[in-house]
Amino acid sequence: MSESPLFQRRRFLGLVLAGTLVPVGLSACAAGGGSDTPADSAPTGEVSDTNPFGVGEGAAVEAVIFDGGYGTDYVSAVAAAYADLHKGGKLTVAPSTQISQQMQPRFVGGNPPDLLDNSGANAIGLATIAKQLEDLAPLTKAKNTEGDVIADTLYPGMLDDGYYDGRLVQLNYVLTVYGLWYSKSLFDANGWKAPTTWDDVLALGAQAKTAGKYLFCWGKEAASYYLTLAVESAIKEGGDEVRVKLGNLDADAWSHPVVQAVFAKMEQAVQAGYFLPGGAGTQFTAAQAQWTQGQQAVLYPSGSWIENEMKSQTAADFQMTGCPAPAVSSGAAMPAESFHASAGEPFVVPSQAKNKAGGMETLRLMLSKEGATNFAKAKLSSTIVKGTVPADAFGSTALASQIAMLDAAGENTFTFNFNDIYGFTSQNNVLWNSFLSGELDAAGLTSGLQKQFDDTRADDSVVKVKVS
Amino acid sequence: MRTRRRLTFDRVSLMVVFLGIPVALYLAFVLYPFTQAAWYSLTSWSGFTSTQQFIGLDNYVHLAQDDLFLKAVGNSLVLLVVVPIVTLVLSFALACLLTFGGSSTGAVRGLSGSSFYRIVSFFPYVVPAIVIGIIWGRVYDPSAGLLNGVLTGLGLERFDKFAWLGRSSTAMPATVAVIVWTFVGFYMVLFVAAIRGIPAETFEAARLDGAGRFRTAVFIAAPGISGALRTAYVYLGIFALDAFVFLAALNPDGGPANSTLVITQQIFSTAFKDGRFGLACAMGVVLALVTFAFTGLVFGVARWREKRA
Repeated sequence: MSESPLFQRRRFLGLVLAGTLVPVGLSACAAGGGSDTPADSAPTGEVSDTNPFGVGEGAAVEAVIFDGGYGTDYVSAVAAAYADLHKGGKLTVAPSTQISQQMQPRFVGGNPPDLLDNSGANAIGLATIAKQLEDLAPLTKAKNTEGDVIADTLYPGMLDDGYYDGRLVQLNYVLTVYGLWYSKSLFDANGWKAPTTWDDVLALGAQAKTAGKYLFCWGKEAASYYLTLAVESAIKEGGDEVRVKLGNLDADAWSHPVVQAVFAKMEQAVQAGYFLPGGAGTQFTAAQAQWTQGQQAVLYPSGSWIENEMKSQTAADFQMTGCPAPAVSSGAAMPAESFHASAGEPFVVPSQAKNKAGGMETLRLMLSKEGATNFAKAKLSSTIVKGTVPADAFGSTALASQIAMLDAAGENTFTFNFNDIYGFTSQNNVLWNSFLSGELDAAGLTSGLQKQFDDTRADDSVVKVKVS
Repeated sequence: MRTRRRLTFDRVSLMVVFLGIPVALYLAFVLYPFTQAAWYSLTSWSGFTSTQQFIGLDNYVHLAQDDLFLKAVGNSLVLLVVVPIVTLVLSFALACLLTFGGSSTGAVRGLSGSSFYRIVSFFPYVVPAIVIGIIWGRVYDPSAGLLNGVLTGLGLERFDKFAWLGRSSTAMPATVAVIVWTFVGFYMVLFVAAIRGIPAETFEAARLDGAGRFRTAVFIAAPGISGALRTAYVYLGIFALDAFVFLAALNPDGGPANSTLVITQQIFSTAFKDGRFGLACAMGVVLALVTFAFTGLVFGVARWREKRA
């Protein structure tokens, strides 16, 4: 062979150089060893009404909590009660914003925490770990510290999103009310009313325009809030049939006439210039500030976290108030008071955790009247536990309107979560940014959304959740 | 016959420290993860279990039919071609100005105040990429951004609320502009040093023969620093294939109509958001192959030219 040793060495060095510069993706996938067998090594105690899961004396609990809009102190707040009940057992709370990245090696290694708040942008997809989680049904059947069965103390429908393959694998702690949000003081000053149909919305858009304002604004990471709004409107208009079709990724779900009617109204609003231009290039909190601070837009579709999220960037005397998403017409299948309510902040107890009983016990304390009231007061948001918010809602107009909406709707609330289950959100953002800025029409939006459904339905490796 | 040299303590310790440790580190932190990732790419691993199920080449078949992934590969290849070329041309031009673009009389020298320009243009390279991404995200903001503010201030009314990162026609060019802005200063400094390595007499001679600055740049400076150019091209190319931080900061979801989605973003979301590490590893293997092909091409072309010369 004619190659000189020098050249071989150089080629080797070249490969080494290239190799060390390609760490992306590859080395990020490294896994450690471990076993899938549960390692229940915590002491166990006697099962009773005051200790329904049999937590051992002095057994420590480790909780990893998403450190987002709600912080982590509402979990640490039950540490004293836990220590009291279990002979000095210590509850440790570790904050995290990188849940998926930090928990991945721990699930692989078989030593996950006893309680995990799987939330935020880096949450682990539920489908990924559902098989490795405890069934939380015993928790809902247990009595809280006041002696009431926990399931009886909750708002209706709040456990629905936690089921996967027939098991309650996650408990969503915070009540989320979805709808349209507006400034009550601004509406009162202009003599505007909260809309109940899309025609009302479009009429409001025309009035806003004469007042030099836009109807809606949006931000690029949160464009899919308008998907949520559209689906809410469609379900109100068409009833359960629409909800079931969408939830089961039906072959023609997005071309359903009711969905198309909503898209047509939205397209009309886009064409009429009711959307503040440039949203597709605007960071979402900046866009939200255009509504809460600059008051350039008058309505914003979101969940009830919005008040807390924008607290520091809201104009004085804004009086943030929520109302249900509009129906298409006045002859909708569901009453005008009905709306989308679900629970957020999913808590899970991994099956391989050392002290599963302690994880469940921590949740039981958080769901007690005391734990839930403490949360509502500190975060100006309700948990899924009923009756923890006083009439004055701690001075929050947004929280007061949520409770009023819940009381008015009674059993008429609904929820859907195909976006979360199948992880569509980021691609939905791509589609909705184009639609809202007028680059994509309703037909293009429909085919884009339907393609996601069709691809996911055809993919055998994705476990489907049956919606009924 | 060569006699075997004795293994003294000196020789053994030298071998351990300068050969053994690097090779061990390389095996443990480069080659082992590589083979591990290649193995995972043949499994349906979720990333959260301790066992993996072997599924053969299914992941690769899936990728070949995945429009979104192919779009991401296409965008990465666009970056691979455009970012190095634009950056290198700009930084080479600036380096020429700073080394021999100055006064035509007296000794050959750069523009006056060139050391000042050198320091200023190096600044962006010192700032972490994520900070640059956030700053430029604000500069491009349609309503309150600096760029539209300046343009409308100049009387260009059509840029009022113009979404640079929100239109499929401008999102990618705007992103490339940020990456180029970051790296131009660094490569300019690199090229200045390389051009300084060419004997000053060569430039003087070229000038006496009547060569203008452009001819000097093309026929004297460029060939004189071809080694540095090639290295820079490889580095920039490999960076362009990654570019995760800039793209994630400017358009986290892939930009309008996925016009700025790149492979590394797909790897991240497939692994951590969808919980499909097997598939993500397959994407990683594809990216590694593209990278090897690119470096091979650059080195190969260079070797071919050297042979011909």
